[in-house]
Amino acid sequence: MTTRKLKNGVMGFLVAASAVMLITVLVVIVWHIFISGVKYLNWDFFTKTPTPMGESGGGVFNAIVGTFLITLVAAAIGTPFGMFAGIYVAEHRGQRFADVVRLCADALQGVPSIVIGIFGYTFLVVRFRSYSALSASVALAFMFVPTTTRVTEEVLNLVPSGLKEAAYALGARRSSVVWNVSIKTAAAGITSGLLTSMARIAGETAPLLFTAFGSRYVEWNMLRPMSALPLQIFVNASSPYPALQQQAWSAAFVLVLLILLLQYGAKHLIARVLRVKA
Amino acid sequence: MAALPSPSDRREAARERVFTAASLVAAVALVATIALFLVQLLVTSRTSWATFGLPFLWHSEWNPVTEKFGALPMIVGTLVTGFGALLISTPFALGIAIFLADYAGKKVAEPIKYLIGLLGGLPSVIFGLWGLFVLVPIVSKFEVWFGKLVGSEALVASGTTGVGLLAAILLLAIMILPFSASLILEALLVVPTELKEGALALGATKWDTIQNVELPYVRKSTVGALVLSLGRALGETMAVTMVIGNGMKMPTTLFDPANTLASAIANQFLEATSPIYVGSLIQLALILFVIAIIINVLARVILRRGIQQ
Repeated sequence: MTTRKLKNGVMGFLVAASAVMLITVLVVIVWHIFISGVKYLNWDFFTKTPTPMGESGGGVFNAIVGTFLITLVAAAIGTPFGMFAGIYVAEHRGQRFADVVRLCADALQGVPSIVIGIFGYTFLVVRFRSYSALSASVALAFMFVPTTTRVTEEVLNLVPSGLKEAAYALGARRSSVVWNVSIKTAAAGITSGLLTSMARIAGETAPLLFTAFGSRYVEWNMLRPMSALPLQIFVNASSPYPALQQQAWSAAFVLVLLILLLQYGAKHLIARVLRVKA
Repeated sequence: MAALPSPSDRREAARERVFTAASLVAAVALVATIALFLVQLLVTSRTSWATFGLPFLWHSEWNPVTEKFGALPMIVGTLVTGFGALLISTPFALGIAIFLADYAGKKVAEPIKYLIGLLGGLPSVIFGLWGLFVLVPIVSKFEVWFGKLVGSEALVASGTTGVGLLAAILLLAIMILPFSASLILEALLVVPTELKEGALALGATKWDTIQNVELPYVRKSTVGALVLSLGRALGETMAVTMVIGNGMKMPTTLFDPANTLASAIANQFLEATSPIYVGSLIQLALILFVIAIIINVLARVILRRGIQQ
């Protein structure tokens, strides 16, 4: 009897301790990013391009532009594929092929980012004989599609079947039920999923290493090499110069802010959907 | 109403066909992607296949100078870091999930869940940055201390830089923790309340209930969650690349610089100039791809069984 109670107490303490551990580690990491990131932030950081190796000053405007362009184009390429695949899976629930599609989406989500980078290199960069931001966007689209597919499917499954049946009873075709009833009902949820997927690919580095490659200049042409914040963080962190390493921390801070903003937007939308439902 | 199909009817029928075709095309494209990856990686690594054949998998020399390539050091590095990280993080993941499911009230659980989501959403490269400038110096101090403790001059002398397998394992353990914890939590939350209350009514303590009712109930889902987390750890690239030290030799201790399949590619691909070097690196990607697909499919099958039960 007492051993059981003792064990109960000890285990309770241990699980609470593991939660405290997690919070500690998290706070330490976020604290480092915040402190080291903010310390070196200045106006030049946002508006200038990198200085030659070893010189102080300069900024990462080129990488900020690159991250926005590469992420947006990847989302633009991936959204139709992801959404339609998600619609297919949701509309053919229980059928074998739909299950296969879902399994493939899950498997693709688990493909390591470096493999996607190598694929992008051999498939696009080699073929077009040039590193380019577009090949990076295509590589990221391969990560964007499976998440979008799964989110779209999940959100569509939440649409009350009564709504759909009512539309069918009025003589609507499947396409118009999906477009006018399901998608409209689920719009906020799907948008939220798209933002979450964007938050995920915006921080990816490995798929960009051998596709976007990086550039010291502000580049708007998707067919040319381009920098991005994650690339800049990696390159700067690996350099031996303290000035560049400090910039890596600031870039990390900006990247985290960007990702948090996207996630906050996604959460806000989802909260609205749930409120409407309740 | 009208016997003949009106223009709007025909438009709608056309739209219906386009819509059906589009969703089918997207679905087929998704499945074809897996095959495309496999074929593309196989074809582009053919020089390596042709030269080294199957022994590539267990040959332990990776030498860009003599252009002799075997994947064993990277496979070992991948397995050691992946399983090492899983071993360290699993008790914590279980603890956190149980704490959130059974101990914490809503006011405590919600912020912690938010923090877990935050940690899980941080990009790999940022963990790498933190690992390189914060974790690695700590590991380095530990190595010096440990070297003195066991009196191993070799360890102290062999450059206790802190980069190596141990740093990679610790960083990976932190990175997969939020992922496995939230998956296990999801499983714990669907344990029927009646089961728990039944056990409690019989006089079981809270921990008795967790140990004998909840954990057996979520056993399959937990295994699935851990397999998925392992898959993440095995394929994790940037963070590992930044702290593992790009060692080409077979590691002999946990303090050695090493490489995983992923980090070898990230570290060396841009330096690789000869076709055989490039081909060998692509072949590493192929191995990683196959491992990842197998692990993910396996995990999903286990998870689905857990849910069905």
